[in-house]
Amino acid sequence: MSAFRKSGRGMVDASKPVNFTFDGKAYQGLQGDTLASALLANGVHLTGRSFKYHRPRGIVGAGSEEPNALVAFDRGEGRVTPNVRATTLEIFDGLKAESQNRWPNLKTDIGGFNNIFSMFFPAGFYNKTFKWPASFWDKVYEPFIRNMAGLGPAPKSSDPDVYASVYGHCDVLIVGAGPAGIAAAVAAAKKDQRVILVDEQAEPGGGLLSAQNVEIDGMAAQDWLTKSLTTLRKADNVTVMLRSTAIGYYHDNFVAVNERLTDHIPSVEPGRSREKLHRIRAGKVILAQGGIERPLVFNGNDRPGVMLASAAQTYLGQYGVAVGNEVVVFTSHDSAYQAAFELADANISIAAIVDIRDKISGDLQQAVEARAIDLILGSSVSKTSGKLRINGCEVYTASSGKKQSFQCDALLMSGGWTPSLHLWSHSKGGIKWDADLAAYVPEQANENAVCVGACNGNFGIEAALNAGTKAGGGRKKFKVKEPEFGSGVVLDHLPNYIDSSKQKAFVDFQNDVTEKDIKLAVREGFKSIEHVKRYTTNGMATDQGKTSNLNALEIASKAVGKPIEKVGLTTFRPPYTPTTFGALAGYRDGELFDPTRKTAIDPWAEAQGAVFEPVGIWRRAWYFPKDGEDMHAAVARECKATRDSLGIFDASTLGKIEVVGPDATKFMNLMYSNSWTTLKPGRCRYGLMLREDGYIYDDGVVARMAEDRYHVTTTSGGAPRVYRHMEDYLQTEFQHLDVWLTSTTEQWAVIAINGPNARKLIEPFVEGIDLSKDAFPHMAVREGKICGVPTRLFRVSFTGELGFEINIPSHYGRTVWETLFEAGQSYEICPYGTETMHVLRAEKGFIIVGQDTDGTVTPHDAGMGWAVAKKKKDFVGMRSLKRSDLIADGRKHLIGLLTDDPNVVLEEGAQIVADPNQPIPMDMLGHVTSSYWSESLGRSVAMALVKDGFNRMDETLHVPMPGTTHKAKVVKPVFYDPKGERLNVV
Amino acid sequence: MLFDQAIDIPETLKGDAVSVTLMEERARYNLRIKSTDLTEFKKLTGLKLPRKINTSSAAKDVTCLCVGPDEWFVIAEAKSKAKLDKLLAKASNKFVCSVTDISHRNVGFEITGAKASRLINVGCPLDMAIEAFPVGKVTRTIFESAAILLRRTGEESFQIECWRSFGPYLRDFFVRASRDF
Amino acid sequence: MFEIHCPYCDEKRPEIEFAYAGEAHIVRPNAQDQGEMSDADWSQYMFIRDNVRGEHCERWWHQHGCNMFFNAVRHTVTDKFVMTYKMGKSRPTAKQIADAKK
Ligand SMILES: [Zn+2]
Repeated sequence: MSAFRKSGRGMVDASKPVNFTFDGKAYQGLQGDTLASALLANGVHLTGRSFKYHRPRGIVGAGSEEPNALVAFDRGEGRVTPNVRATTLEIFDGLKAESQNRWPNLKTDIGGFNNIFSMFFPAGFYNKTFKWPASFWDKVYEPFIRNMAGLGPAPKSSDPDVYASVYGHCDVLIVGAGPAGIAAAVAAAKKDQRVILVDEQAEPGGGLLSAQNVEIDGMAAQDWLTKSLTTLRKADNVTVMLRSTAIGYYHDNFVAVNERLTDHIPSVEPGRSREKLHRIRAGKVILAQGGIERPLVFNGNDRPGVMLASAAQTYLGQYGVAVGNEVVVFTSHDSAYQAAFELADANISIAAIVDIRDKISGDLQQAVEARAIDLILGSSVSKTSGKLRINGCEVYTASSGKKQSFQCDALLMSGGWTPSLHLWSHSKGGIKWDADLAAYVPEQANENAVCVGACNGNFGIEAALNAGTKAGGGRKKFKVKEPEFGSGVVLDHLPNYIDSSKQKAFVDFQNDVTEKDIKLAVREGFKSIEHVKRYTTNGMATDQGKTSNLNALEIASKAVGKPIEKVGLTTFRPPYTPTTFGALAGYRDGELFDPTRKTAIDPWAEAQGAVFEPVGIWRRAWYFPKDGEDMHAAVARECKATRDSLGIFDASTLGKIEVVGPDATKFMNLMYSNSWTTLKPGRCRYGLMLREDGYIYDDGVVARMAEDRYHVTTTSGGAPRVYRHMEDYLQTEFQHLDVWLTSTTEQWAVIAINGPNARKLIEPFVEGIDLSKDAFPHMAVREGKICGVPTRLFRVSFTGELGFEINIPSHYGRTVWETLFEAGQSYEICPYGTETMHVLRAEKGFIIVGQDTDGTVTPHDAGMGWAVAKKKKDFVGMRSLKRSDLIADGRKHLIGLLTDDPNVVLEEGAQIVADPNQPIPMDMLGHVTSSYWSESLGRSVAMALVKDGFNRMDETLHVPMPGTTHKAKVVKPVFYDPKGERLNVV
Repeated sequence: MLFDQAIDIPETLKGDAVSVTLMEERARYNLRIKSTDLTEFKKLTGLKLPRKINTSSAAKDVTCLCVGPDEWFVIAEAKSKAKLDKLLAKASNKFVCSVTDISHRNVGFEITGAKASRLINVGCPLDMAIEAFPVGKVTRTIFESAAILLRRTGEESFQIECWRSFGPYLRDFFVRASRDF
Repeated sequence: MFEIHCPYCDEKRPEIEFAYAGEAHIVRPNAQDQGEMSDADWSQYMFIRDNVRGEHCERWWHQHGCNMFFNAVRHTVTDKFVMTYKMGKSRPTAKQIADAKK
């Protein structure tokens, strides 16, 4: 048993020693300890160095509010978590933890010079100092800041752990399993509500775990706790979640709760989730988060060994650990007396109780006297001593000027209590200033939520139990025997004879913000508390100022000269405590990050060694390299094979929408700029879709299957937005039309067969369709069978060659493809990918919406005025096309470009100028939209959007690219077979 | 074998607490018709389309799901396809309506077991309590990044359909999440 | 994540099933009116929105649900949904909005 362990106390298991290391040194704790309690049991207070001044720091609290004791938790390669609060880290055999912000070691730290020169580091120091000269930034300032800034080491490899997430639902969600939360859960469970009770600790009970001399309805507090927990665990309608932190409270009672599943377990089997994020929708939320004790802001209050009085109480009561042998208590609130008494009753020497108040209640005074503790009223601690741990303090009595020195190895402080309003604040609940408590308390709710117990400003166990019961829908009134909670005072400044410029009174321990810094910020003109916060960084560390906000507010309000309620509280934001990225990602890493959509034919392409590219979330075969070919060679071969004989292409990703109903044609006339009235069933037409603003939105071939049925195709990436666009107009503006839409993208696998031998290939497999040139002309569609399965067969061409698009039900796609590919061997059939598809279409000047257009291109700009019906009364985009801006001179037009040097392939996106020698900034005429090597033409081809392009035919323009500027001639964007004769293969 | 949904279900998804199987070939139709024609539609086809949104009616080998104010899915055993094709074609001729064959657009999973609803809640935000989502309820909703059609077929059994290219994504999600069960 | 009451499904559903669809009650001029509108008037219809601070009538789409577009009154400061109603119903009066809040 270590020196500071009090046997027979607390919830730890004395029969189960646990071995762990801190900074490489071996220690022993007990089952049930946190790292903090185990270190304290070994007499260790020093746990880290502070962020800015690298001052030695120790454990301040006993829960998740801890500002100081941040450690790196080392679970092995890739599994080092920085900034873990030692007060919440459960120990297990083999646990390794390291202190932070120190070099070369915790006891000797080079960065400590910041501390010596701390007069140079006032509030706003970084803003003021690292300004100029600019040349100092990368050489001096940035390396300096990088060296000094940051809490703990960032991980160097990707996280090897896996995480989980799940949605949850309940009638009542209770946050905090202290007396209020447990009472609420018991009451709600009786009302047959679905209840979820969450608590961030490993043990439920909150303050009850360490409560001394408390009786609830005649039962010892711990017995009542055990009984209540048994009731809850037996109830089918209650879920108790431990090690589960409610990190954020969002709209409509949606609360994120992160459950830590494995960090407390010595060895975890691979693949087991480390944390699970529960996304819980609750009918009602009961917040029972308790309160946080406030530190006192006095000179030397950050020395290791200075800690919250309630924390010392918890270490003794819950863990059986004495935080020191010789303890001074410094307080402005009655509650610290109870801590002093409990320690004294455990035979820990209380050197003195120092109270800033001149008077305390008679009962308290008697209790102090009964224990023969030295009580010094109307006084404050004026300084502390000790290098890496407190060894003494000086007490100053302002009224008499008297100074007394005490030796001590721990100093407990209490500045009163702050209700924990974090989640309430996330929910946008209102708050009001309670002058008696000197704290903000909840006011009107913004959600179906209520705060109970200490977080509502109702301190004491009886108050908590009764408020919890009421919130849970119960009527029971508890009778509790407990020490009086009492009251206290709050001062903005503690009397001290030492000149304030020489004091080190910390407000925010984690960000090293002192009382002076806050006053300086106010003097420099920052009056809003939100500005003071950002200028001083008070409350901006990983603890979000849980222990510091109220003290900072008190100091700022006095400095500004406004009452505290007029200064206001800074905003709390999720997460309540630092949260791993893994927990936020849940299952969504790797393959599950986003779906990868694959066509029915994709497995065949993969087996053939295709190289893939992402198109939206589709993955598509990009090209099919043959032994050692690069992309250029493969694409050149695929293009040639298709134009010479036969190519086969998987076009399944094309978006497809079935438009059906007696008013289908009227609807199509409204949604597309073309006219559909004249399109007969069995025929196809290229359709151009505009937005209401007149710009091109999408395009695709549309087949009229019947009088009242269209098979619409869209671009691969455009399917969802086109569907939405159509549904939107149909449900709102064109409600009078009897027509319906069904997305059929995935109903059909689409195999495009192109090349002079296309007809010859498919003929033997087709039933019920006359494929002859006259019976089945270009831009026709027929229904029949292919390879024995139903097909919608299109005769269309996106390549300029004789082409067919074979639509077959998806689950037949692969077999039909394989059958045709097999038969195609006699024509040297060549599978091609999206790159070859792009080249072949560019040779023909067919546009790709989104590549050759950018959302500001009208049909006329794209040279497609022919696709705008002249006689229609109305269609989406019609009126906008007449806007003066859209018919003005000088718009950019889509034209072709042929480089003077046929071997130069321009870069897509390259800018175009008329005169490369003009002064900078040059007058940009436009940019290259599509550019490829054309194997068929033996030269490069390009398309470009160029200002006034239609009027620049044969003009030579200049395209600057890295190293050189290329000349290119403006031409019509049809490079291959301009008369379309190749479609006429017999 | 001509018909190929290209989704394998690993053995790990055949657990005691939850089991996932791939639905066999089905005939599926998207049917849009005005609610005023439902009675006549039933007379003609024998198919009872539920009037209440997000409910379903199962009869012998055909299930009709109401997923919108004027939208139904008709899902049946594959062997009934020829019969349904004819029936629905007849209806198309008589009523102002829209019938579209989507048999191959979707793939379906059956999820059964005591933790079936828990597996659904891994990615679907709806409340799966039996009171909130009773047997027979059906709806389109979300499972993480996939749009799904969800139907409760029993206290501990569900069907999930999605577009075919999202099938492997759902399967992978089920595999990963079921490790935590 | 909001819960939004879909007036067609007649139940509250999670926000991720929905997509926002812009300000409500902006009626597309019919073909004849379009022809008679000046560029300035047309721009007003096309591009200019109220951007109210307070109760805003807006369109939502139950994309991953019943597939219906509907209207909602949402407070743009508090993000509270006051009411939702079917497409085609006219803009709610101040009294209807006040009643819905009760
Ligand atoms: Zn809906």
